[in-house]
Amino acid sequence: MTGPTYAVLVLFVLLLLGAGFLLGRRTARTVRPSDVGTPVEHATFETLHTASLAAPPLRAGLTEESARRSARRLRSLLGTDALCLTDRDRVLVWDGEGDHHGRHVMDQVQGLLASGRDTAFHSDCDDLDCPLRWAVAVPLTVDHRVLGTLIAYAPRESAVLARAAGEVARWVCVQLELAELDRSRTQLIEAEIRALRAQISPHFIFNSLAAIASFVRTDPEQARELLLEFADFTRYSFRSHGDFTTLADELHSIDQYLALVRARFGERLAVTLQVAPEVLPVALPFLCLQPLVENAVKHGLEGAVTRSRITISALDAGSEAEVVIEDDGTGMDPERLRHILRGEGGHSTGIGLLNVDERLRQVYGDDYGLVIETGIGAGMKITVRLPKYRAGVHGS
Amino acid sequence: MSRTYAVVAVAAVVLATVLVGGFGLRISRTTSDFYVASRTVRPRLNAAAISGEYLSAASFLGIAGLVLVHGPDMLWYPVGYTAGYLVLLVFVAAPLRRSGAYTLPDFAEGRLESRQVRRLVSVLVVGAGWLYLVPQLQGAGLTLKILTGAPGWLGDVLVASVVVVAVAAGGMRSITFVQVFQYWLKLTALLVPAIFLVLAWQGDGRPRVTFDEQLSVFRADHPLYATYGLIIATFLGTMGLPHVVVRFYTSPNGRDARRTTVAVLALIGVFYLLPPVYGALGRLYAPELIHGGDADAAVLLLPARVVGGLGGDLLGALIAGGAFAAFLSTASGLTMAVAGVITQDVLPSRGVRHFRLATVLAMCVPLAGSLMVSRVPVADSVGMAFAVSASSFCPLLVLGIWWRRLTPQGAIAGLVLGGGSAFLSVAITVSGAVRPPGWPHTLLAWPAVWSVPVGFLAMVLVSLATPGRIPVGTNAAMTRFHLPEALIPGRHR
Amino acid sequence: MRPLPRYRTQSEIDEQTALGGAYVRSLMRSQLRAGLTAFTVLAVVAGTLPLVFAALHSAAVVWAVLGFAAYPPLTLIAWWYVRRAERNERDFARLVEGRPAQ
Repeated sequence: MTGPTYAVLVLFVLLLLGAGFLLGRRTARTVRPSDVGTPVEHATFETLHTASLAAPPLRAGLTEESARRSARRLRSLLGTDALCLTDRDRVLVWDGEGDHHGRHVMDQVQGLLASGRDTAFHSDCDDLDCPLRWAVAVPLTVDHRVLGTLIAYAPRESAVLARAAGEVARWVCVQLELAELDRSRTQLIEAEIRALRAQISPHFIFNSLAAIASFVRTDPEQARELLLEFADFTRYSFRSHGDFTTLADELHSIDQYLALVRARFGERLAVTLQVAPEVLPVALPFLCLQPLVENAVKHGLEGAVTRSRITISALDAGSEAEVVIEDDGTGMDPERLRHILRGEGGHSTGIGLLNVDERLRQVYGDDYGLVIETGIGAGMKITVRLPKYRAGVHGS
Repeated sequence: MSRTYAVVAVAAVVLATVLVGGFGLRISRTTSDFYVASRTVRPRLNAAAISGEYLSAASFLGIAGLVLVHGPDMLWYPVGYTAGYLVLLVFVAAPLRRSGAYTLPDFAEGRLESRQVRRLVSVLVVGAGWLYLVPQLQGAGLTLKILTGAPGWLGDVLVASVVVVAVAAGGMRSITFVQVFQYWLKLTALLVPAIFLVLAWQGDGRPRVTFDEQLSVFRADHPLYATYGLIIATFLGTMGLPHVVVRFYTSPNGRDARRTTVAVLALIGVFYLLPPVYGALGRLYAPELIHGGDADAAVLLLPARVVGGLGGDLLGALIAGGAFAAFLSTASGLTMAVAGVITQDVLPSRGVRHFRLATVLAMCVPLAGSLMVSRVPVADSVGMAFAVSASSFCPLLVLGIWWRRLTPQGAIAGLVLGGGSAFLSVAITVSGAVRPPGWPHTLLAWPAVWSVPVGFLAMVLVSLATPGRIPVGTNAAMTRFHLPEALIPGRHR
Repeated sequence: MRPLPRYRTQSEIDEQTALGGAYVRSLMRSQLRAGLTAFTVLAVVAGTLPLVFAALHSAAVVWAVLGFAAYPPLTLIAWWYVRRAERNERDFARLVEGRPAQ
């Protein structure tokens, strides 16, 4: 190679090194403006976080208990000697010195409770050593209703304290409003859970608990394990968010369900699972396979059959996943099954199947209903096809 | 070269592929082993699978052939194939996975809420897939011709049939393990012979490999422009290849998708250290390929030339097996992806039977193409598929993931102007209507330099002109694309 | 059943309020910045290399750089980016959940 060649090469290497150096510096530098916060900013948040500790008690509404638990933090926010919280009728808490003032407070705030306007007054204390000479009282309002008052005391008149008390009171009001909101939201969630709970059969809960109880003496370790499985399973079934889940989560829940069932039936039930890992991320309607497995267990163990085998497989079929649930139990008359799926059955076994079929068709269209192959004494094979992607279906 | 060994090796690869694919996951598991079965695919395993599917005939045979004929400038191909994953990583990998999309049409529909865009993307995906399949089939035909002396068309038809049967019969169902197997097979099939070749070369007293300008055949009359065209196409085109996108669905979440991509980069980087060795040694030991002849055959011919004897035959057979693995894995991955799109967006009804029909359709067109079109060097025609992908899917993905103001109208404009013009250029080049030398041919043969900006510009400008058409769910989609898994409710388990 | 206050930002994001949008946008900006940094390094190097090669006229250099030396830096940039992106996500999660810094 010639001289210029070397020169260009060296130049290029230097360029590379420079780029690497810059990259390294960018990584190493910790203090720089960042969209997700520098350590300094995080420290600020920490302070704010500490300050906001007064909030949680207030989220239960304005009660003696919540007032007692938040008063000290509110007082330290205001930096005042004494702080008093009242509702419409009485003093809820007095924090700080000079609580002999408490006797007169309700008389002094009567006007405020009626008008809803901030007031200030001199305490007119007979005790000359008492430092509390002046007070500012601010209403606590939610939806234009005055729920109570916040009163801050000081040795002398202070505009700063008046302003601060006003701000703190407004912040307390926001917390109280949120408390109201929380109450209605909790009611909503409870209603939702009641609806979901209806999907787990009470028989199953009873039988599982009975099976677990039977192990408590003989095999406490096993009982403990099963109890954990049971807790996990019910947590999944009762969860309160989202209409969709992933195949991995659904199969996990089925696994727990089967562990509980096998605790009861032991050797009588053999289960085989084949799962292609490619299809585990597929999103699907929440709890739409579990009823099918429950159905297979019921059919498999029904009647005179002593041993039963259930096969569950989830295979990758291009743009779809194919889930097959098969049992070698008593099977069903195809005519009766058709009846059930038309919604004319009224038989308890059919409800689960009908429900799943309807939900699948609703989400994916009529092409994706259940495909059931069965006959009397011939077992039952249920095939579910799940598209890997459908707009609006996102597992979470 | 002994034909028997090579035929045995090819047959073994086909058989092993079918066996691993068919039975890899048929092994029954009891509930106690369920946790093993339900393990999601780990990043490293998935990375090996992606690499196995990605390393095609272009990588296995084509790069060495191009280097042999045109000199080391052709090494931009493997660098581009690898760097494409870096671009995919930094702009697309995690958000694409979090979008939940299985194919590019899924992504387009989910992001832009428009069936029209979905259909257009489907057409382009099928087109790009076909473009990519043609060289795979041609490479297979070439390999069989060299190994057995069979006429060229027979190999094309044979590989096409094997892939159609395997895919349609569901023999490739547990595809992850097949592809992992193929990656390691391909790496071994190039690495082991390479070691022997280098040893033999040292035994010869290390003759110097020369890449004198006089000996190199000029590929383009504007080599610098061609190089930039190649760089842009491969860097930006990887993210849109249908079989690459599909594999990201297997990652359990966005974070794993990212880690998978890094592992892919490392794995294919290791692989790409090998083809240049063959290209250089080909210069010494198969110089007649430089002028005329199928340069793509260099990799296959070298062991017999350099090592010779039984050893040469065995090494040749190993390479033949690896080459076949390359055709099979890429071709079947592409066919699966294309057939999936055809079933979902072209055929009226869905179901297993239609998927089989779609598989046949997905393979018929490229087969006809490979038989009719004159042979373009494998790596070059793959480069054209990258150019189409870079000018259509890259703007769609990058703007779709990072820009809130993208509208369906903008996307359509970009796809049609960018992707369409690239597609047209490639078609004109392949048909031979415009021949070198001259700028017209250069511009059409390496369209990415102008078609990628056209695609981006059209998407941005038309989107800005239609501000009222921003999809309602844009914010929701953006949140889903970028929110870390740790913050998604229900994922704390 | 009352949601803890520390999940409030989370629900802003879930319900896609203006505030939640601001949070997500700031995450996107930080991730895009990381991506663009990596991409710029790649683009600058890949953009200048052909010119360097054309100036050098040396097959051996092209050979060494493209055949061997290119791959480790590519993997390193990728590794850097993943570390950076995951750190951004951790910081963001901390920001949203209101956990103090470790």
